[in-house]
Amino acid sequence: MALVFAFLALLNLHLQKVDVKNAWLRPANKGMNSALYFEVTNNSGKPETLLNVSSNIAELVQLHESYIQKGMMGMREVKDVVIKPHSTFSFKEGGYHVMLLFLKKNLKPNSTEVFFLHFKNSGTVKIKAVVKKG
Amino acid sequence: MNHLKFVSNKIILFVFFSGLISFLFFGCAKKFPEQKDISGNNYVLLNQDSAKVNFPSDFKGKILVITFIYTNCPDICPMTTHNMQMVQQKLAKEGITGVQFAAISFDPSRDTPKVLKEYAEVRDMDLKNFIFLTGNKKNVYSIIHEFNFIAIPGDTTFVDKKYPVYFYTHTDKLFLVDKQGRIRNEYRGSKVNSQKLISDIKSLED
Repeated sequence: MALVFAFLALLNLHLQKVDVKNAWLRPANKGMNSALYFEVTNNSGKPETLLNVSSNIAELVQLHESYIQKGMMGMREVKDVVIKPHSTFSFKEGGYHVMLLFLKKNLKPNSTEVFFLHFKNSGTVKIKAVVKKG
Repeated sequence: MNHLKFVSNKIILFVFFSGLISFLFFGCAKKFPEQKDISGNNYVLLNQDSAKVNFPSDFKGKILVITFIYTNCPDICPMTTHNMQMVQQKLAKEGITGVQFAAISFDPSRDTPKVLKEYAEVRDMDLKNFIFLTGNKKNVYSIIHEFNFIAIPGDTTFVDKKYPVYFYTHTDKLFLVDKQGRIRNEYRGSKVNSQKLISDIKSLED
């Protein structure tokens, strides 16, 4: 019986289409903005699309991209983010990030917050992110 | 013959020492050419405690590491202030004093002293030699222009008819100013090589 459960657990792990790791966000105060970063791996053979992210800690949550153009840094909202088959996409500082606007609470270092990532094929994935200095 | 050899040796020594002296003087000068003297003008700003600060005269005699930010920036500006915080901590560990860190807001209408103080507090910043500054728009933008820093506000859009969302497009730089108020070097703020910055600071200490 134990072997069956182990097999099923392994099968479930194998079938998990997306993995999200190393999620963290910046400290910020209530009413201000923060950014969420993580790595998402698409284990499937088809492209996966992150459609949006939801959270209770911010009034607005948007997918954003920081960019550099003619020596100037800018930021813009993006509609969605496509993760290629069998690849990892990094939401990282100075690049793609999840923008958290009008925070409902203070985000202090070492606290954790919950987010829901909504994918086109994989559905909703719940993650925990830690507030890190940065 | 011996006389000729003596003269030849003297010439070689002269050329060697001339070259060495030139290298020491001009080589160092090239490493830190004076980019601009900003000590001529003075502007009144407010720090995170709402105390008046005369910029840059209040910092004369200190090496200044300075950048420009807006606190609603979630990505690039915090990277820059965090890099400065790391350098501040490394210098403190080495017992190097006399270096002042400063971040001036280019969004003064929103970045009040209270907002700046909260920004520093939530990041556990050591405000002994790290100062956040704001002020009236005219003064702030006069300083920004002195540094050839550019910050352009985008249009404010209203999401769900109630959330005013706005962002700036801005230069990603921090600057090193010497004790006499002269800009001596500039770096990419969000990706600064902290070892290089520390090395440059030490070079200006002497």
